[in-house]
Amino acid sequence: MVTAQRISHVQLQYSHTIGRGEQFGPGFTYPIHMALGEDDLMYVLCRSSEYRPEGTRITVCTVDEEYVNAFARGVPQQGPHEYNFEDGSLVWPVNVAISSNGTVYVSDEWLHRISMFTRDGEFIGKWQENIGSGDGQLDRPAGLAVDADNNVWVVDGNNHRVQKFTPDGKFLAKFGSYGSGDGELDSPWGIDIDNQGNIFIADWRNDRIQKFTADGRFLMKFGSSGSGDGEFNRPADVAVDRDGIIYVADWLNNRLQIFDPDGNFCGEKTGDATVSKWGKDKLDANPEMWGERERAPGLEREKDFWAPTGVTVDDMNRVFVCEGPRNRIQVYRKQSPMFMGPRL
Amino acid sequence: MAEKDIALMAHLMRRAGFGATYEELEARAANGYEATVEELLNPEGQPAIQDDILMRYQPQWVSKAGLEGQQEEWTYRMINTKRPLEEKIALFWHHIFCTGHAKCEYPKQQNIELDMFRTLGFGNFEELLMGLSMDPAMVFYLDNCMSHKDAINENWGRELLELFSLGVGMDGEANYSEDDVKEAARAFTGWTVTNSVPRYPYGKYEAAFIYDPSDHDYTDKTFLGETGNFNGEDIVKIVARQPAAARFVARHMYNFFVADEPQVPAWQNTPPRDPEAIKMLEDEYFRSGYDIRSMLRVLFNSDFFKNAQFEKVKSPTETVVGTMRLVGDFDMPRPGLNAMTLTIRYMGQDLLNPPTVEGWHTGREWIDSGTLVERINFTADAVGNTSHRGVQSIINRLGSEGDTISSERLVDGCLQLLGHYQLADVTRNELVALADSEGELRTGTDEFGQRVGQMLQSIVATTEYLFE
Repeated sequence: MVTAQRISHVQLQYSHTIGRGEQFGPGFTYPIHMALGEDDLMYVLCRSSEYRPEGTRITVCTVDEEYVNAFARGVPQQGPHEYNFEDGSLVWPVNVAISSNGTVYVSDEWLHRISMFTRDGEFIGKWQENIGSGDGQLDRPAGLAVDADNNVWVVDGNNHRVQKFTPDGKFLAKFGSYGSGDGELDSPWGIDIDNQGNIFIADWRNDRIQKFTADGRFLMKFGSSGSGDGEFNRPADVAVDRDGIIYVADWLNNRLQIFDPDGNFCGEKTGDATVSKWGKDKLDANPEMWGERERAPGLEREKDFWAPTGVTVDDMNRVFVCEGPRNRIQVYRKQSPMFMGPRL
Repeated sequence: MAEKDIALMAHLMRRAGFGATYEELEARAANGYEATVEELLNPEGQPAIQDDILMRYQPQWVSKAGLEGQQEEWTYRMINTKRPLEEKIALFWHHIFCTGHAKCEYPKQQNIELDMFRTLGFGNFEELLMGLSMDPAMVFYLDNCMSHKDAINENWGRELLELFSLGVGMDGEANYSEDDVKEAARAFTGWTVTNSVPRYPYGKYEAAFIYDPSDHDYTDKTFLGETGNFNGEDIVKIVARQPAAARFVARHMYNFFVADEPQVPAWQNTPPRDPEAIKMLEDEYFRSGYDIRSMLRVLFNSDFFKNAQFEKVKSPTETVVGTMRLVGDFDMPRPGLNAMTLTIRYMGQDLLNPPTVEGWHTGREWIDSGTLVERINFTADAVGNTSHRGVQSIINRLGSEGDTISSERLVDGCLQLLGHYQLADVTRNELVALADSEGELRTGTDEFGQRVGQMLQSIVATTEYLFE
């Protein structure tokens, strides 16, 4: 009997988990997306909710789970429990990106605004026109990416298009329109740019990923609706590593899917979470919960992804997956090419 | 289209849903009353709310981690659903089969319970009681997970009989005894839930119902006059075939959908407000094999229902949701949803967190000096906002009637377009006098919209508007 063998040149090794649910200090409140900055700092965008608006913020920490600070909170720690619409505040933040000079960009799909902060969290500007569909206008901006020239690409969700801006927000170009044909988009969300300058879009309501040249020419697509290999249920984000491997946060399928540069399915991860350092601190402070965990059936569910909305990959082959409902980020590392066959 | 048909449709939509705009009422009246009843009774024929879009803009609704978020989500669904009776039936059963956030291990569990009400809530009452008996939120809320074969906890057994299926008594007689409570509790030993994963560090996980045969009392029980080695399923079967179960469901339906009844604890000794109506519903309960949808069909098509306009005080939920549907606000999630939802709490109904397992006292008990102010302020603010789509529609419609409209027509037109509300003569006359005092009303002026908005505010501040 011949055992079926699968050859894959992409293997992800689980590394560790970062996070716990907190409104303040070490922890996150619905981390919807993240970006990596200088000194290996993680800028984790916490969406939170209207009934806990003080949890809406950017938490800065290291990959080793050392808390640094938080900014863009906008709402005092002690109420009022309502959103703050002022400059430097966030209402419905959805994506974060960092330029090579350290500017932190955040999209807000309620304010239709892109806010800019220094790497230390100081508000330095915004661009925001009235909601609209004209050049440069935004309607529920979502994904953000910064290209090699520090231009900022914005997924313009409700306008079903992608727009390109200068670093300070001057409109440069656009592509995409509503539809399901090649190059058309339906409520797109996430975006990434590969090292060739090609643009990858999570074409959210079309359940697919599309690839474009930097001038907006359609190159390829992959994916369709479903839960099988290579199928998606509302893909929220896409990331491309230095080797061209594509990672997709398959939101309502609760998984990360991995594709080769041609869009061929290579594998999936459904989650491997373990107790984070911050999580251990919390449990040590509530030691009875260690015992409760031992008695709780189904604790293995704790490993599983739940509605991942963000995937980020760096040049060290680390893959970060943001899980809002679990207030955590699972970290994987891509392994060297290897052959997977049956055990001897 | 006859206005009386539209008025009747407005009544139906207020009770089987949360009200409708005048344009929707016209369209539904043209389609016919019985056809509308059937559409409401078969909600799967209408499109569901697009959950993916909701969760994209309200991502915390994925986890349903907190009471406020769940209240927001349910309120949003009630406002925007194309299946109004599906949400109304969930609200109906939530009024009866109470679980509360204050004693809930994982808030999402109550959402799962609501989904059960949306589906089983139209079906067979026995199956619904079975679903409730295995609902992790309920098993935890009423402590059946703490009931063991050698140490029963009577809480679930008692409330199953008293508050969920039979009621304490009817026609002056008790429906069950203390021994029946204990025997029911014994029959349900072993019906429990899995241990919960603790909250830290990543939040809760769904519990699951499990039957633990090693913790079940296998000895004979005598329950409502029958003896056997009963398990929980047997208790539910026996309960569902009792005349008291038919009376219980019928009176609750009448109280929720038709007209205010006395509060539930009084039902043993207080006869139904309309015994013939209750008898019709009881008969349909048995004829249909305990089918809730069949009972609702009888109810909505009956004369006693059609003649019961404005015989019921709106609940806080009906007040807020109905107002939002009327004015056309929150047709997409937006900031402010939390504050709007909290208004329901401030009017006296903390959804998913009732004061006790008995739920809320309804009817005139919804109204006190505090909740009345909340109601009037909320509804007046909403209908007085002339930028709202629904308010604009009323203004435009009245404005199209001519260059000027009389004070009488302003009052009557607003009442009509709000859904054919009726005022006592004295109230109407005061509003006409109020309109007269403002002078001639020309429709083509900037002032017109403002005057209409003010009249709408005056109407929703009346005693009559508290009723539906």
